[in-house]
Amino acid sequence: MNGIHDLGGMHGLGQIEREANEPVFHNDWERKALAISNLAMAAGVYNVDEIRHAIERIPPLEYLATSYYEHWVLGFEDLFLQKGIYTEQEYEARLSEFRSRR
Amino acid sequence: MPALSHDLVWNVVTGKFSGRTEVPQAPRFQPGDTVYVRNINPPHHTRSPRYIRGRTGTVISQRGAFPLPDSVVLGTGPNAQHVYSVLFTFRELWGGDADPRDTLVIELWEEYLDPAVRSRSSWWLRMLLARR
Repeated sequence: MNGIHDLGGMHGLGQIEREANEPVFHNDWERKALAISNLAMAAGVYNVDEIRHAIERIPPLEYLATSYYEHWVLGFEDLFLQKGIYTEQEYEARLSEFRSRR
Repeated sequence: MPALSHDLVWNVVTGKFSGRTEVPQAPRFQPGDTVYVRNINPPHHTRSPRYIRGRTGTVISQRGAFPLPDSVVLGTGPNAQHVYSVLFTFRELWGGDADPRDTLVIELWEEYLDPAVRSRSSWWLRMLLARR
């Protein structure tokens, strides 16, 4: 797939920022995102190729505007829907539940 | 959904899980072989990135056999095949302005590759035919 993910050789994206003593996770939700993805793979919900492809399918503008672990979340959310782990309605219902807790 | 065992989870999260497998066919390429990366533009998933397609590199090692990600995602079976570490010079990938000391090594599945000799000869054949 000739998508936005395949950006080797592209110019104009700025320098790669190197962070001294970079932590594995910058936010606690990133730790959870990685755990969810690893467990989903261990459970056989999807494999590493499927999650890579799901990330490639993120619309280009969204892809460029989101972080590494956001890519993982967008990727597995799409796969969970596709694999019937939850429905669109269940997903929306859960989102509004979280929003109402704020 | 299968129940998650401690061992399974441990192997996945510690990176011990591997898709490495065996295939009956012998590897098509040996270290030192010059290979040409096929120009493919599939709408589905592939691990052959755009910037190496149509380029020539050198096999530096055989990595064993693994399912072809393209086939895995398409759901057409594992289609396991040999994987090679292939070295490209930056000059080959990015042209004459690139530093001649820089190289890139990338793991490529057998199906992404052709022997470079055949590609070169067909290029020469095309040239010869075009001149007639």
